[in-house]
Amino acid sequence: MLEALLEGLVLVLQWKALAFMLLGILLGFWVGLLPGLGGATTLAQMLPFVYTMQPVEAFAFLLGMHSVTATTGDITSVLFGVPGEAASAATILDGYAMAKKGEAGRALGAALASSLVGALVGAFALAAAIPIVRPLVLTFGSPELFMLAVVGLAFIAALSSQGGRGMLRGFLAGALGLFLATIGQDPQAGVARYALGTLYLWQGLDLVPVLVGLFAIPEIIDLVVRGTSIAGALPAGKLSRGALEGVKDTFRHFWLTIRCSLIGTFIGIMPGMGGAVAQWMAYGHATQSARTAEERKGFGQGDVRGVLGPGAANNSKEGGSLIPTIAFGVPGSTAMAILLGGFFLLGLVPGPDMLSKHLAVTFSMVWTIVIANVITVIACFALLNKLAQLTTVRGSLLIPVILVLVFIGSYTSNNHYGDLVVTLLSGGVGYLMVLAGWPRAPFVLGLVLGKIAENYLYISTARYGAQWLTRPVVLVLIAIAVAVILYPLFQARRRAAAHA
Amino acid sequence: MKWKLGLIGLLALPLSAWAQQPYAGKTLTIIVGYKAGGGYDATARLLARHLPKHIPGKPTVIVQNMPGANSMIAANHVYNVAKPDGLTIGTFNRNLPVAQLTNVQGVKYDMTKFAWIGSAASECTILALRTDLQINSVEDLRRAKQPLVIGATGPGANTYDFPLLLKEFLGFNLKIVTGYQSSADIMLAIERKEVDGRAGSFTSIRPFIDRKLVRPVLRARADEPGVEQLPIDEDLATNPRAKAIMALRSAPEIVGRPYVMHPDTSPEHLKIMREAFAKAIDDKELIAEATKAKMELNYVGADVAVKVMKEMLSQPKDVVEEFSKYVKFGE
Amino acid sequence: MHRKASFALSVLLMIASGYGVIAATAWPMKAALFPLVIGVPLFCLAAAEALWTLFGSAPAEAGEVRDFQLSVGKDTGRRALAAAAWILAFFAAIVLLGFPVAVPLFVFLYLRLQGRESWAVSIVMTAAVWGVFYGLFDLLLHLPFPAGWLLAWFGFS
Repeated sequence: MLEALLEGLVLVLQWKALAFMLLGILLGFWVGLLPGLGGATTLAQMLPFVYTMQPVEAFAFLLGMHSVTATTGDITSVLFGVPGEAASAATILDGYAMAKKGEAGRALGAALASSLVGALVGAFALAAAIPIVRPLVLTFGSPELFMLAVVGLAFIAALSSQGGRGMLRGFLAGALGLFLATIGQDPQAGVARYALGTLYLWQGLDLVPVLVGLFAIPEIIDLVVRGTSIAGALPAGKLSRGALEGVKDTFRHFWLTIRCSLIGTFIGIMPGMGGAVAQWMAYGHATQSARTAEERKGFGQGDVRGVLGPGAANNSKEGGSLIPTIAFGVPGSTAMAILLGGFFLLGLVPGPDMLSKHLAVTFSMVWTIVIANVITVIACFALLNKLAQLTTVRGSLLIPVILVLVFIGSYTSNNHYGDLVVTLLSGGVGYLMVLAGWPRAPFVLGLVLGKIAENYLYISTARYGAQWLTRPVVLVLIAIAVAVILYPLFQARRRAAAHA
Repeated sequence: MKWKLGLIGLLALPLSAWAQQPYAGKTLTIIVGYKAGGGYDATARLLARHLPKHIPGKPTVIVQNMPGANSMIAANHVYNVAKPDGLTIGTFNRNLPVAQLTNVQGVKYDMTKFAWIGSAASECTILALRTDLQINSVEDLRRAKQPLVIGATGPGANTYDFPLLLKEFLGFNLKIVTGYQSSADIMLAIERKEVDGRAGSFTSIRPFIDRKLVRPVLRARADEPGVEQLPIDEDLATNPRAKAIMALRSAPEIVGRPYVMHPDTSPEHLKIMREAFAKAIDDKELIAEATKAKMELNYVGADVAVKVMKEMLSQPKDVVEEFSKYVKFGE
Repeated sequence: MHRKASFALSVLLMIASGYGVIAATAWPMKAALFPLVIGVPLFCLAAAEALWTLFGSAPAEAGEVRDFQLSVGKDTGRRALAAAAWILAFFAAIVLLGFPVAVPLFVFLYLRLQGRESWAVSIVMTAAVWGVFYGLFDLLLHLPFPAGWLLAWFGFS
């Protein structure tokens, strides 16, 4: 295995492959940054060029482009509160809050550094797990995936405020998300649920328009109301805490970053969970690391840990999601599906061979992800403090640009005006939620996990009857879910005991 | 007087040039009823790259995605909103005639009235089962003692409809478990031995047949290179009503990748398009690229396509009624 | 404001879930199960929150929200409405005039009217935004931007 590791590295370090990787990184930088430049459409547009490349260069380009989008998506989230990618939405909660406090540089530094750590940890965990990864994925059948979705939903409790009222609102938000997830044609009876007579809603709500509306619009309204720059009323407009501080933060909370990276990698490996879940579970886990009531209040207001968690997870999941694609031929996302098409160019058949005979090629892909991320982070670092300056620019100059990005970013999901309507409505709901003191994170969790939970539950029951409840992994996951739900109570009791 | 004739001749020159090359300097748009990355999109993009050289005037060809409602939105658009100037082509879900047939709300098109260019491929549905189950023929299938678990994505998809009809009309011992997010997820479930097999297009299952994970047992009626030896489901049905319903389900697959234009498109534009498509699909470079991407295109002419559509949509009421009980419009 | 908004949201959710539950009863069991299992508790939770807002004690509990707090200032309400109006106006412009016209128009008008920027700044920014928008999304990516309804009605396209 060690030779395969080194062989993979050699494959990547050829001049031409590196050159194409750099080109891919350059493109991926903008794709991640700009909402509206969706990964899938851009990749599809790139395919013609890929066909004319040599195989190794081709996937260096594709992977280089793809691995970078998760990192740069965080930049727009932090600076403007607009998710550059669907997977970067969780970074907005604390990242943009930090920008408002004048700590944009620090938030960017933290986001990038944690992205790098996430990518590295993800890549190495992957490499280390390769011997067991096939049995691992094969053990997680539909019942286990359902329970995993339940564990994800359990984080709703973690993301709600404490106390009866807080929990009530958290669960309300989560239930609303779950409810909206049922819109669309159901896979059991084919009924177009809640389509309200439109064709647009047949396939359900698309995540990007909802996220863009839910998070960006309330912030924009608030920015207009404040009438200042994003960084608010800073004394003498001086930005505090540059990017380097953010990097230091990553190491101050090193173990949290590692744990969130592992969560991301794991979710990435599980086929069918979807890319948006990892960041929210990581965010939920990060909030659990708050020790006192004061700290917990800080989340959502600009706690750097709220940036580290999602930042790490949404990069590590990229490495993880290579596994179902390469080892099973099951792409985890549209981008992976296109990458899969690219793999055929190599004459490689995704499957068990990729983990044995062609292990070197698999490792070269892992190395590509590592190197692409390192290059991106280093290249971005020079820009970070300059980018942070944007938050001191007059709000009225930025707002029209942000709004254009919001509308285009939402429109390009389906090239349908319905996307814009969804964004506006989500914006309205989001604004009301913030006004009313309801947390938005549980809503997103419900929306993202609803379909997965429903489908896997039906499959599990149809296939195994009631027996699936007694499978070992299922029982373990039930225990984890219960632990996640009870953890806040446990923490509260410990605190009460400490104070007593 | 002669100078007047000369002037008319001079004026006529560019006009005749225009008549020869109506597409010179224009942009042709192919509207795909799905998001980027899927089979329809990949086929459209492949064609977009190679069509220009076969159209006199060498226009630019671009692809736009208009997903939604299993591509009904795109179909409605090309039928009603797009201009009939020969510059818009639509490609969408081959099952759209089923929506029209079963009177789905929201259908604003008529499959028989589109200006048909043809189909870029036939997509035959097959039933494939895990190799280690040792089921190699239809007799083995009939003799299976335990119900065979077949994974599906949802009603309206061939993953669901094909096995459903097999179960209802041929009496095979199948248990259909639906809800998988995509056909790729079903393949994973097969590897996990959670399900025993799936139905699906031959093109999508072929890599797994080559890898010897699954083995094809049955097919539907569409002809596609590679499936010739497999028995056809309709042939196994004894009841003529059953045959009719299976045929109705399978008919759209013959027109597997439909390409159409606005109903009022001029005949010359249509003729140019049909010729261009036929030539492009035979183009060596396109075939090379397609093989690399594991796609296989073969041109099915407009006359065949229209015939299939007309046959489907003129079925007697009782057949349609029973058909609707089993097959809904979906993917 | 907290209480009013929370009450409004809860009532909204009660209506939505009520409609959802009633609509679901018309469907076959398999399609209706999840919407019912979620819709009924959703209705009850929303009702609980609505009642709590009406009759409950002061909002000390609002303190610990895991989300950002909206700024409160002198004429917050009016300014927020103005912001919402601009956003809706942009949407209307996109639908009526199409993206390619609405984008530069909105940027320019916002900068001049709301931002009170100088002519120079407004024009330069508008040009820059429109340039990037057009170059990237139209020329390069060929994204479909339908003509606005108004323009189509008048025969432009």
